[in-house]
Amino acid sequence: MNAPTPIESSQAASDAKGARGAIAWTEIRAPARLVLTNEFGLILLIAIFGAIFALGTPGFGSQFNLFTLGRTTAIDIMIGFSMMVVIVTGGLNLSVGAIGVCAAMAMGWLLERVGLPVPLSIAGALALGGALGAVNGALIVRSGLHSFIITLATMSVFFGVMVFISRAQAFRNLPPEISAFGRMRIEGYVSPLLIVSIVVGLGLMALYRLTPLGRDMLAAGAKVAAAELSGVRVGRIFVICHILSGILAGIAAIMVVARTGAAIPSMAGDLGQDWLLPAFLGPVLGGTALAGGRVSVLGAFLGSVLVSELTNGLLQYRIGEFWVQTWLGLLLLLAVLMDLARRSLLARMGSLTR
Amino acid sequence: MTAALSRFLRTDWFGPLAIIVAASIGISVFDPSFLSPFNIQILLLAASVNCVIAMSQMVIIAIGQMNLAIGAIGGLSAICFAGLMQVWGFPPVLAAAAGLAIGVAAGLINGYLIARTGISAFIITLASLSIFKGADLGITRAQPFYGIPASVKAFGNTTIIGAVPWLALPAALVVAGMWYLLYRQRIGRYILAVGGNANAAELSGVSIARTVISAHAISGFLAALAGIMLVARLQLGQPSIGDDWLILSFAAPVIGGAALSGGHVSVFGTLFGVVIVAIITQALVIFRIDPYFVEVVLGLLILWAVGVNRLREVKFQNLASTA
Repeated sequence: MNAPTPIESSQAASDAKGARGAIAWTEIRAPARLVLTNEFGLILLIAIFGAIFALGTPGFGSQFNLFTLGRTTAIDIMIGFSMMVVIVTGGLNLSVGAIGVCAAMAMGWLLERVGLPVPLSIAGALALGGALGAVNGALIVRSGLHSFIITLATMSVFFGVMVFISRAQAFRNLPPEISAFGRMRIEGYVSPLLIVSIVVGLGLMALYRLTPLGRDMLAAGAKVAAAELSGVRVGRIFVICHILSGILAGIAAIMVVARTGAAIPSMAGDLGQDWLLPAFLGPVLGGTALAGGRVSVLGAFLGSVLVSELTNGLLQYRIGEFWVQTWLGLLLLLAVLMDLARRSLLARMGSLTR
Repeated sequence: MTAALSRFLRTDWFGPLAIIVAASIGISVFDPSFLSPFNIQILLLAASVNCVIAMSQMVIIAIGQMNLAIGAIGGLSAICFAGLMQVWGFPPVLAAAAGLAIGVAAGLINGYLIARTGISAFIITLASLSIFKGADLGITRAQPFYGIPASVKAFGNTTIIGAVPWLALPAALVVAGMWYLLYRQRIGRYILAVGGNANAAELSGVSIARTVISAHAISGFLAALAGIMLVARLQLGQPSIGDDWLILSFAAPVIGGAALSGGHVSVFGTLFGVVIVAIITQALVIFRIDPYFVEVVLGLLILWAVGVNRLREVKFQNLASTA
């Protein structure tokens, strides 16, 4: 890309801010550092809202509500992860919802029409998710265009082809194990889906912290040219990130199938657009830099937990129903504004101690 | 002569226009009813609303940003327009003015937040998309407004003369207005300058913040206008108005040669992009292909168009460097 797009230039500006924040970081005393982390703030908010909802509404703390809340949270976390792994590259993937629906429908087809056993069908669905991610990645790297327009186009193409092939018919006669897994409760209120999300989260943490591949992803996302000079094959890394995004979107979609017991074409709304807000809310609340190169798996996890908790609580209070989307939008706005304020505060504290 | 021809070939709108002519001839060979007045009227109706939607996104592409919220703004304005007439008995003109004012206000909020905070337009408009859509659903409780006055219904469904529907009038005014604004007015030059190179524009005394806010206000106004036009056409205030605008709003400007990095858009290219989309939709119906296929075609068109734009860019750069 020769002319820097304004997305990139505004990212460059926030990069510069991030760098200033990083200098300030080391100069702040340890307790202040802990309190000012994004993760700490999220845990605090989750606890405060948890207490308010638990005291204010009888339904919130019930075992059944905690179970359904955990199940929804697990799905939102996975959707957030599938966006996060691409945000790391400094790009985005608008087609996560469309890829997810394609994977879910593929699983339904493999189970119901082909008659494959469950594990093979899941593997097939995830393979399709990865393949569609690879298409995204290859198109972006080959064309040198911004991932926004490429994934906007593929979102339409993937979803359209899926509806065309499936004739918009759902697969409802899935093996009972699938919905049994979705209904299963451990200790009365923990959904196994939540455990899947935690395991995947730990895997992603290990990827970014411990493996050369994960470090290459962060390096390529932070500064393409510098990463290339130090021998990172940036194009290949970007494609791998998109494949990973497709697979994670596939996992999220399979979780939705387990929850509803059917593979439905409209499960993520028209073109899969309904997944976009949860996909960005988790990582952005969690402090994953939209400019790329900086990731917080724990933050994205906690961000999704906070969002699901708020949605659930608002519904319990019966004030949400139709306004939920407005509150979530305001939350996203508040989150990015607070992140801005936090960084400028850190920068100022850094210049004071100097 | 050849110089004039090559100048035509180089304009953004020549390629799309050639496609329109070729496609019209090709389709009408297979099905002569394609150029019947009735069919042309359907084409014009679809193109009128879509053209205003596309212009609403084009202004934002011109400053090198994107506006995910145009559908939500259009939907909110549409249901306010319909709701004011049904619930409080506002006369249509006043209700339309209020709907447009809401669109402008929504655009001003977007622009102000983007310009003042420096947060990417993508995130701000994703958040405001959700806020406006939630307000739309919250106000209507997901139920349409049915009490639309007869005069509004007539405006959406009758023709001026022959096959030209009344809805084509606001669309034509918008196209003319956008052309005048972008190529003949100072604010238009500022918009293109900020989109082309924000630093250079600022150094030459253009206020980036004011330009960004103006562009978003124009975008909000046009989104609201498209929403109001759709109420007239559908004859009801549907809360789901605007849900499916996103892909189209990018497809048409990009087919018309707009550079997504900003600074370069074509009003007539965008108009022809809208017509191409309308023709393709119509052709799918005529040839009895699944209408769901429209989404696939739109996606492929975007990919094809950005690819072509990129090639043209590279070629022109080569020409410029050899000259």
